Amino acid sequence: MAKQSEKAASFNKNFKARTNRQHSLSFATCVHCGTCNDSCHYYLATGDPKMTPAAKMDKIRKIYKAQNDWLGKILPSWVGGGEIKSDNELEELKDIVFGSCTGCRRCTINCPFGVDTAILVGLARSCLVDEGVAPEGVLHVMKDQWEIGNQMGITPEEYIDTLEWIEEELQDELEDPEYKVPIDKKGADFVYVINPREIKYDPRPLQAAFKIFYIAGLNWTMGSVGWDNTNFGLFSGKADLGGHMGNLAYNHAKKLGVKQMVISECGHGLRSTKWEAPNWGKANPLPFEIISLLEVMVDLINSGKIILDPSRNQYPVTYHDPCNLSRSSGMTEEPRFCLKRSCIDFREMTPNRTDSYCCTGGGGAMSMTEYTPRRLEVAKLKADQIKETGAAICATACHNCVDGLSDLIKKYDLRYEYEDGKSKLVEVPNVCELVANAIVIPKEIRKTEKEIRDAVKGRTILVIDDEPDFVVFLQTLLEDSGFKVLKAGDGNTGLSIAKSKRPDLITLDISMPGKSGVQVYRELRSDDATGSIPVFIITGEVDFRQLMYQKTVQAPEGFLNKPIDKDLFLMTVNKILEKTIRNKHAN
Amino acid sequence: MGDYIIWENLGNGTKLVMNQLHYAGLLFMILAYTVKIYQLLKKPAAAEGTPARGDHKKAIQYAFMTLAMPWEIESQKRHWYRYLEFALFHLAMAVGIGFAFIVPIIPEIMKNPIISIFAQIFFIFGFVIGISRLLRRIVIAEMRTISTPDDMFCLVLLFLWMLSGIFAAPLKSEFWLFSYYCMATFFLFYVPFSKISHYVYFPFIRYYVGKHFGHRGTFPKKNVNSQQLY
Ligand code: SF4
Ligand code: SF4
Repeated sequence: MAKQSEKAASFNKNFKARTNRQHSLSFATCVHCGTCNDSCHYYLATGDPKMTPAAKMDKIRKIYKAQNDWLGKILPSWVGGGEIKSDNELEELKDIVFGSCTGCRRCTINCPFGVDTAILVGLARSCLVDEGVAPEGVLHVMKDQWEIGNQMGITPEEYIDTLEWIEEELQDELEDPEYKVPIDKKGADFVYVINPREIKYDPRPLQAAFKIFYIAGLNWTMGSVGWDNTNFGLFSGKADLGGHMGNLAYNHAKKLGVKQMVISECGHGLRSTKWEAPNWGKANPLPFEIISLLEVMVDLINSGKIILDPSRNQYPVTYHDPCNLSRSSGMTEEPRFCLKRSCIDFREMTPNRTDSYCCTGGGGAMSMTEYTPRRLEVAKLKADQIKETGAAICATACHNCVDGLSDLIKKYDLRYEYEDGKSKLVEVPNVCELVANAIVIPKEIRKTEKEIRDAVKGRTILVIDDEPDFVVFLQTLLEDSGFKVLKAGDGNTGLSIAKSKRPDLITLDISMPGKSGVQVYRELRSDDATGSIPVFIITGEVDFRQLMYQKTVQAPEGFLNKPIDKDLFLMTVNKILEKTIRNKHAN
Repeated sequence: MGDYIIWENLGNGTKLVMNQLHYAGLLFMILAYTVKIYQLLKKPAAAEGTPARGDHKKAIQYAFMTLAMPWEIESQKRHWYRYLEFALFHLAMAVGIGFAFIVPIIPEIMKNPIISIFAQIFFIFGFVIGISRLLRRIVIAEMRTISTPDDMFCLVLLFLWMLSGIFAAPLKSEFWLFSYYCMATFFLFYVPFSKISHYVYFPFIRYYVGKHFGHRGTFPKKNVNSQQLY
């Protein structure tokens, strides 16, 4: 028998020790009937026989067979058994369990036995992670969750800054200068636990939820710690990390004495915080209930605490069921209930609910950017589904899904033709954004365009991008909003303008001929003259996310994929600038 | 149309395989499965301590019932003929097992032409479906990729067993009866080592799947009108 490498031996040992009863059943029961073949988006989109769920799981099952099956122990090849022998085999397994399966469980629901692919993948992932054989992005996020307590390494200052920024936005929007985002409020009925993406890159869902809570008059609070509902314990299979993240949130909620913990619209956030982490962290029974924001909204609509005017969302809306909500949390009707009351034209995608296809961004795939080309290839299936609905908006209730869907919408150029003949990429908001948009606010007065212009007037923004049309587009947008704009068509020019003019903000493209955006970004950060200028990366390169996840570059103040959403772009520019000014005042 | 086998005139080899060996095989299989189930239950089960969102009992019932509700599983709904094939194949196996255990005790039963033709029809189904399943494993790349020698061997054995059943059912040929029981006996010894053991695990896996998805409110699958939620 060939000798096993040190890592392989350790992997095999852990694998055997961690195989529990449910794993054993899923390993031993599969009869290779192939019923689940066409459940998997990886197989359906590629037609590759090696991408069927059973073919992929056999790469894990063979270890089980060699370790547990009677014939597998003496005649492994007869039953397809065999332990891992080399580091190369570990790498191959990594490609399967991290790069070719999002653990969406569509095959599980469609297997006559219920072979649970996701738990088998989780088992293999946990053993691989222990050998350090995992995508860099996953390892980095795990480290941040262990050390900083959230997956994006957000500091307490940055967290509070963003909440204060939202607070000011809402003071204007709600016409209530006294409006406050409560933090660590004792006696609150519930604590709102969120996805760090809402703080770091897209505060719109957060703002929408806060608006809903305000109008409904709810007694709630944000937590100063344990506010991250995401959990890389789920994606890495590491129950210890899963328990740690859960306990951070649970312990803080206990300290606050809340009756409920409300999870923002995040599929794996709800699944891990509500269903998995209490078991991993041995935290049962919890003295509070864990529910989703979707359930809160259903309740508010039903009780008349919020009144919706669906005519405010007049374009066709469809809904993507996040796997972790539909299959792993039984939550399929709540989002539909909300959408049907906040939009005029709601259209179902087919198939939907528990049969919905994965957005391709699940299972932590968004942090494993080495697999992005494969992910986008298999996303064709979802793209076709969305296209068929003819919707202008594809709402979802998960932040991973928002990113996954946005990428595929861009890749497959899914557009909606508006009456004025203009077409726009399909938008991907969270459900709460559409609900918040439809809310009737008593004596609603919105911020006027003039007020917005006044607030931002005079700030200078340097646009570094090699596409002249895009530069003109940004320039028009920014100038119309009252900014001064400087332009540079390449990295070197951009660097010299940055040094000489010291703009208030730099928007930076990544793929440019000559000096790449990444290089420019690194030089900006390392130069004393430009190091403190906030940078907003606007790129068509999805791979930049890989650099951020792997911590190869410091996270920028803003990040947006091309083609951009105008509103989100201006909102982010405002957010970054206002934050910078506030920080300067504080210092 | 030949004559029925005269039971008393059966050769010693046939008698041995139909009785002593066959029952020894059954005993071995029961023992082997007892050990298998013991080994399975020795492994710790993932604990669930969170409050339930759904109804475990209903969900477990549902998980078992889906076996007879192909419309609840998308792939079976889409490939209904495969479900039909699955149902007929498993019914043929049930008839085969019934035949193997009933005939040594009451061989007269097979002299009823309705019963023997009924058994033959199922044996034909089993034979044809067995061959088609084997061919599918050989010809279709997706099936070839996931097939092990054990998968192939079990199918070959099964369709040969069914073939012998077609000729053995009227109880007119000792050769076929002998062949049938040789294979049936071999099965009893081999099955605990093969993928055919899946039926022993079936109740356990469906119990856990039903309990897990029921706990979270995913099972039974929803068909509600969300306009009436709450
Ligand atoms: S996982 Fe289930 S459906 Fe897929 S091949 Fe195995 S037994 Fe058949
Ligand atoms: S869990 Fe989802 S991605 Fe993984 S094999 Fe099954 S269907 Fe495919």
